[in-house]
Amino acid sequence: MDVLGRILLVEDDPRDVELTLTALEEYNLTNEVVVAHDGEEALDYLYYRGKFESRTNQNPAVLLLDLKLPKVDGLEVLEKIKSDDELKMIPVVVLTSSREERDMVASYKLGVNAYVVKPVDFHEFVNAIKELGVFWAIINEPPPGSVRKK
Amino acid sequence: MPTRLSTIQRYGLAVISVALALAAALGLAHFHFRGGGIPLFLFAVAITAWYGGGRAAVLAVLLSCVSFDYFFIEPLYTLFIAPSELPYFILFGLFAALVTWFSAVRRRVEQDLRQSRDELEREVAVRTQQASLLDLTHDTIFVSDMDDVITFWNRGAQELYGWTAEEAVGKRAHELLHTVFPAPAEEILAELLRTGRWDGELEKTKADGTRVVVSSRWSLRRDEQGRPAAVLATNNDITEQRQREQQIRALNEDLSNRSAELEASNKELEAFAYSISHDLRAPLRHMVGYTELLQKNILSTLDEKSRRYMATILEAAKKMGTLIDDLLAFSRIGRAETRETAINIEQLVKEVLSEVQQETDRRKIAWKLSPLPEVYGDRSMLKLALVNLISNAVKFTRTRSRPEIEIGCVENKKNRTVMFVKDNGVGFDMKYVNKLFGVFQRLHPTEAFEGTGIGLATVQRIIHRHGGRVWAESAVDKGATFYLSVPTYRS
Repeated sequence: MDVLGRILLVEDDPRDVELTLTALEEYNLTNEVVVAHDGEEALDYLYYRGKFESRTNQNPAVLLLDLKLPKVDGLEVLEKIKSDDELKMIPVVVLTSSREERDMVASYKLGVNAYVVKPVDFHEFVNAIKELGVFWAIINEPPPGSVRKK
Repeated sequence: MPTRLSTIQRYGLAVISVALALAAALGLAHFHFRGGGIPLFLFAVAITAWYGGGRAAVLAVLLSCVSFDYFFIEPLYTLFIAPSELPYFILFGLFAALVTWFSAVRRRVEQDLRQSRDELEREVAVRTQQASLLDLTHDTIFVSDMDDVITFWNRGAQELYGWTAEEAVGKRAHELLHTVFPAPAEEILAELLRTGRWDGELEKTKADGTRVVVSSRWSLRRDEQGRPAAVLATNNDITEQRQREQQIRALNEDLSNRSAELEASNKELEAFAYSISHDLRAPLRHMVGYTELLQKNILSTLDEKSRRYMATILEAAKKMGTLIDDLLAFSRIGRAETRETAINIEQLVKEVLSEVQQETDRRKIAWKLSPLPEVYGDRSMLKLALVNLISNAVKFTRTRSRPEIEIGCVENKKNRTVMFVKDNGVGFDMKYVNKLFGVFQRLHPTEAFEGTGIGLATVQRIIHRHGGRVWAESAVDKGATFYLSVPTYRS
């Protein structure tokens, strides 16, 4: 493993967070995962606000974004990111339970980089997370200004 | 008026009247009355001219001259006329001519009068006929003068308003009928005077007090000097029409209310499905995820029974996941907009076959595919329908040693096509055919053939959305044939 990009996981459900982290753990991808529990926290992270005021000034290599979130929902976060010149280069992957067409259409219209439906089957879920992590945090060359760990 | 006399009677009248005048004159002369002759003869001429006409009068003048000359002019009893007597005769002649001329003039006047009387009678006859024709029609027609007083009232008016002509004529129309105008009466009158006509809807009251709505057309009649003289009004009862229109309006309103309600409940349903899609799958995923993690941690310490329990938990949760996915897909068919295009259905079937065959590669299925026409519909929906039907055929031929599946077309009409998917599988009992397309309806036990019972309901919903029909024929152990009719062009 050469370099590892930082993953910002935006997920409100602690069980989903645990399962996602477990999946990433299996492939040693967890050490650079930051978890935001709602849309506001995610934006706080991206804009160095609140508890992320003093974080290192680099953007994550990828953002795994749930859609149904308290306070500020996933689509609003996505819209905010894609309309901000500083942030819009960050790859955003929507990771959601919803297979609803309107969610997909809305996400792609806002410029999402990928849309992944969380499978019910755990093995499929682990596979999906693993592949996401490997692709976005390792294989993909992130835009300049992203955190990468040697 | 003098009676018409024949020629003989007229000349006879001349002779008799002159003879009577002569006798009277001779009588007067006998009693030594002087100067009575000439007026008597003139009187005879006048009588003759009056009753006998010009020619009889000329005869009377001649006879009077001769008689006068013979009996009263010296020398008596001769026809000799002394030159000194001549002015008498000329004067008499002139006078007689004057009387005759007067008589002729009078006759002409009389004739003219008779002629114009005849013309008048003819016209009266024509008018009477016209009026009775107007009376014949069931349309309501009445005429009123410029003071709104009714002068004519036909049978149709009597039938509609219940007043007879005798009751109505002479009354003011708008007072009699309590007319309610749609605009101020002065404006209507102004339009009538300006254009010569007016039409509109009026509300009137019948003799029995019921209200009617009439479509009224007015025409203005002018006299020879061009002054407004009368108004002819034709009225048609449109009360029922108005009532029907009102009913239709009410129904329409009701309909739009209901469609709004329907839309609202559709929205609710959509929100419901959306929420299921997001919220119902998450706990399932957690159940499966944590069970898998648990299994991984303690699998080595578990006995056979406990392993089976765990496997069952996982299986049940996965089945619930499939069920939710199928239900959401099913509800999406009702909610999604269809995107209809011309579809090469044969190519679509081949696409479906290659997908289905990937899962059945270990089984030897004899596929038979006949040429299929182009149809018109939503590609992804029709594909889903075909996937369901063909997967069913594959599933229910599983127990066959030589499974056969045939896809073809039985009917290719101008506006629709009927295609079929036929298998030689386990089939079903036709007495349950009405349950076949119901949601969650299954005709086989889950242990034998897995499934959620939503597939055929989905197929039916898709075909119905295309305005088509789906039906099936089968017998137990004799295979099943599913037919679907789909449109071949944009309706």
